[in-house]
Amino acid sequence: MPEDDRKDATRDAVAREIEAAVNEQVSGLPPEQADALREKIRLRVREEIERDLRARTASERREAARLAKEARKKEKLEEEGETFLRFNRNFRFQHMVMFSSVILLIITGMPLKFPNFLLSRFVINFWGGIQNSTIVHRIGAGMLIYFMVHHFLYTILTRDGRRDFMLLLPKLGDAKDIAHNIRHFLGKVPDKPRFGRFSYIEKFDYWAVYWGCIIMIGSGLFLWFETDVLRFLPKYALDVAHEMHSDEAMLATLAIVIWHFYNVHFNPDRFPGTLLWWHGRMSEHEMKEEHPLELEEIVARRARESAEVTNR
Amino acid sequence: MRKFALTAVLVFLGGAFLPGLARDASASISLEKCTLCHGKPEFRKLLVDGRVRDLFVTGDMLAGSVHGKKGCTDCHFDVSEIPHREHPKRVTCTHCHFKGNREGAPQSDNVLAYFDSAHGQAIAKGNTKAPLCQDCHGSHAILKAKDPGSKVARGQVAETCGRCHMEIYAQYKGSIHGVALAKGIAEVPSCTGCHGEHKIYARNDPKSTVYATHVSEQCSKCHASVKIMGKFGIETEQVATYKESFHGVASQFGSRTVANCSSCHGVHDIRPQDDPLSMVNPKNVPKTCGKCHPGANPNFAVGKIHVDAKNKESGIIYWTATFFKWLTIGTMLALIAHIFLDMYGRTKRLRGER
Repeated sequence: MPEDDRKDATRDAVAREIEAAVNEQVSGLPPEQADALREKIRLRVREEIERDLRARTASERREAARLAKEARKKEKLEEEGETFLRFNRNFRFQHMVMFSSVILLIITGMPLKFPNFLLSRFVINFWGGIQNSTIVHRIGAGMLIYFMVHHFLYTILTRDGRRDFMLLLPKLGDAKDIAHNIRHFLGKVPDKPRFGRFSYIEKFDYWAVYWGCIIMIGSGLFLWFETDVLRFLPKYALDVAHEMHSDEAMLATLAIVIWHFYNVHFNPDRFPGTLLWWHGRMSEHEMKEEHPLELEEIVARRARESAEVTNR
Repeated sequence: MRKFALTAVLVFLGGAFLPGLARDASASISLEKCTLCHGKPEFRKLLVDGRVRDLFVTGDMLAGSVHGKKGCTDCHFDVSEIPHREHPKRVTCTHCHFKGNREGAPQSDNVLAYFDSAHGQAIAKGNTKAPLCQDCHGSHAILKAKDPGSKVARGQVAETCGRCHMEIYAQYKGSIHGVALAKGIAEVPSCTGCHGEHKIYARNDPKSTVYATHVSEQCSKCHASVKIMGKFGIETEQVATYKESFHGVASQFGSRTVANCSSCHGVHDIRPQDDPLSMVNPKNVPKTCGKCHPGANPNFAVGKIHVDAKNKESGIIYWTATFFKWLTIGTMLALIAHIFLDMYGRTKRLRGER
């Protein structure tokens, strides 16, 4: 490149000039002093060059940073490829209602199970006493009941809901997947099982919530409307409901905090969590990793649809 | 020289003390002088409102009491003339009874506790009916509280309190505690057992031992003790089951509206469950629960109230608890095993890659 050559030539000429000037200065001095002076001049020159660079690039550097950022973004997009909508807006809304209600229920309910735990008193007082925390608990209960009704209607009335429900039903393949996955964990097989839209982990979560909601809402309503329940049932029925409510709450909390949090937050692939619950989208890379069969299905469907369009 | 100094000191000390001793001797009017009048059984005074004030006091009354060595004017120190020119004032016990006194009275702050109590506060507000020390402890024949003859002894104190709190005393006498007290059972609580001795507060005062949120604690002092309850064949699990129940938990968190022991069992009229007058008799349970749960019906009494899910005798409740216990253990073990296998696999693969 001629321009680069010219630049190099200029730089070489300047270097030679400086070298000559320095030599002239140090000639006649003893070698130790000459070296010290040389070093001093070198430092001064470097300082000068750096100052020049700083002054010149203040605005240029900003521009360069912007361009680099854009380039990185572009690169990343290319790397991730297309994103796929895994959960529609309705489903995401349901999940948000559910987790906010469950958080409310856990923090207002657990102090009643562990009144001597140090934090319990703090949590109860945070709401302004037990009178208020029981009201908050009922608000949470109302939200959970709403979620249950909403999800029931969603399952019956929408196409996505019906499809997901059918896909969530446990199948023989799930048992095989579990066995396969455990062998994979132990290093017996190199690849992990290829999951469809819902892996056995997600199916377990779904049915755990189903079971939990039925037990908790059922027994909770018993306790909420105790006098009306006692009109028809003896007192020990209420005691059974109380025991179920308390024990299932413990199980559900443990399952959420240990199992669900590990799978979606603490697991090294996900830590500290993804925004899947917010935008519902998964990148192609993640889809290949976690739901390859669903990805294949989507790709196949697209091919079929485009073929139909061409045929028409 | 030394002898002289010693003599001088003795003379000096004698000079300092002798006038005091002499004054004491001259100032105190001997018992015999007082009993000239007060020792006559018919010595009494008709008050303006028609009541009769008995003024009969003999030396024997004081002799057996804790103040046996005191003379009349040690307490009635405003009396200096016979017959009394002015109406002698009520005796002030705090003259001697305070912490740090040198009169030989017990070193205790009970008098301060009394002034802070409901009775002391009532006096301070000018209620002339509120009791002073001598209203409970008696005037002349004051005995130690441990002495069974004392007015404030365990066996007697209910009657003493009952002189003013008549209705409550009547209720208490009919209650299981009152009946047991009459039988002479030593462990049973009378008034002071629950309300405290000098630190008696109104029940809506948070300092009170019978404040809504303190009641269960107060009852459990005896009812949680296997040592005491074992003597009478009474179960102690009620305390633990109450504390685990919603009522107990809410009370612990400071709710005053939630039921405590006495909301259901009664306060002064606590009776055993098989007594038809008992508030927790199955027949009365709907009424008792109905105080807070309007529309309570006989179904409230079907099944044990103080139910313990860990006890096999609880039947279906025990089995529910057991089922959930094993369900939780089983599920969580499986899930945690899966998590650890996952982490084990990840670690192994990472090492392999490296």
